[in-house]
Amino acid sequence: MHEISRSVRIVLPLAVAALFCIGWEAAVRLTRSHGLMPSPTGIFASGVEATSSGIIFDAMSGSLKRVMLGFIIGGVLGVPLGLAIGTVPALDRALRPVLDGLRSIAPIAWIPMAILWLGVRGDAALFVVAYAAVFPFIVNAGLAASLVDRHLVAAARALGASRWMIVRAVLVPSSLPMIFTGARIALAFAWASIIAAELAIGIKIAGQGRSVAGIGQLMVETLYVKRDVDALVFYMLVIGAVSLVIDAGLRRVQRRMLPWSAR
Amino acid sequence: MTAVVELSHVGKVYVSARDGVRVEALADIDFAIRRGEFLTIVGPSGCGKSTLLSLVAGFNVPTSGEVLFQGRPVTGPGPDRGVMFQDYALFPWRTVAGNVEFGPVARGVDKEAARERVRTLIEMVGLSGFEQRYPHELSGGMRQRCALARMLANDPTMWLMDEPLAAVDLQTRIILQEELLRLWGDDRASHVERPTVVFVTHGIDEAVLLADRVLVLGRRPGRIKQVVDVRLPRPRAALRNTPEVAQLTAQVWDLIHDEAAQAITEESR
Repeated sequence: MHEISRSVRIVLPLAVAALFCIGWEAAVRLTRSHGLMPSPTGIFASGVEATSSGIIFDAMSGSLKRVMLGFIIGGVLGVPLGLAIGTVPALDRALRPVLDGLRSIAPIAWIPMAILWLGVRGDAALFVVAYAAVFPFIVNAGLAASLVDRHLVAAARALGASRWMIVRAVLVPSSLPMIFTGARIALAFAWASIIAAELAIGIKIAGQGRSVAGIGQLMVETLYVKRDVDALVFYMLVIGAVSLVIDAGLRRVQRRMLPWSAR
Repeated sequence: MTAVVELSHVGKVYVSARDGVRVEALADIDFAIRRGEFLTIVGPSGCGKSTLLSLVAGFNVPTSGEVLFQGRPVTGPGPDRGVMFQDYALFPWRTVAGNVEFGPVARGVDKEAARERVRTLIEMVGLSGFEQRYPHELSGGMRQRCALARMLANDPTMWLMDEPLAAVDLQTRIILQEELLRLWGDDRASHVERPTVVFVTHGIDEAVLLADRVLVLGRRPGRIKQVVDVRLPRPRAALRNTPEVAQLTAQVWDLIHDEAAQAITEESR
């Protein structure tokens, strides 16, 4: 490998991206396929419109609220359950088949049942999101708890720690780095399933002419009502960007909260 | 001299959970640990040195026989018996100060009193200025000192130490041996006010230099081979390179040599 200079390292990918966009724009114009195919300038214009009207922020905050709520529900249920399973072998034995069975059902496969039980107002999407988020928490907390250093538990006992203090001061902190990894997976799952759930629910809503509540519903409306491919692609880009920001944020929180785990 | 720990006909058998294979770690250990003595335990690998220590600590229960601490059967660990592990077992998510205060906090000691005690201990082991560091930021010798301070924070009457100096380099080990002796009260006249130490080690010279008595174990199953009295004056640090220490070291080594050689070939099987 040749050494490349700092300026080239920055300019090179930008130049490639710019060339890609120019080629893309040219291809769409030359083939006169705009409307079916999105174009960079069209996406940009849609982006400006969606931001100035605020529609993207409304939809995004609707979806994010559900994602965060589902994520929190998943963590509150999943972490204690996982820690208990990882600590008590009998509990692991008892619950593992059921949990593995439930885990193997894709969260989005629950969408029809969730709509049947909870309706289309967002509760169904919330159910699916919480379902998607809970398993990474259970699996990672369970694994972390089963891997806790026996010497640390022994040391705590020898220092006079009660059972509860061992849980609070040894088991939980020792499991936190792996729980954080689980949280990042859970958030990615939650975010992926909110889009799927809202898309599915959105079809029903679009049919009934109700208001847009999340990014998925907005995309369905954009597809069926407005037929605006540029806007669709802009929403896709926003979804990707938000995922990146959320993951980076979580990693930052981990570094802040667990300075000892950063080696 | 009064016994603080009595082991009567203690045996320990481990049964593997996977294949049910029985390993007899200790057999018929009959021994009394005296109040205020520095007892070292040596023996070839697999002789049950650490098992013996963990029985006194209360992490393990004997399969047969009885372990008494101050006249009562040991049912579990307690803050009166401080333990130090070979890998130090420091809590990586706690700072030096956080580790040292763990014992007092666990026992519900008044915060202000605990803080003062922690400060004194950290100063005593030479870690002043490192209170807010995490264990992974410390050298091996500093971690060892931190583990020592953490153990001392509960004012245990017994120090149970499982190869505490095995993981540091030779120079650090010599320094830490001297510090350990000083903290224990090597230069004090009376036995009575010293804590009772049980110190498991691979280092025979270390065992002789530190100890009042060296407990030599044989292997598979671990039995008491001999108890060697070290009748040398204290403080001991000055005696490191004397012929008396060398002669006792050679004597203990003779007791272990054959079985230690055997242990090497058996372990590779």
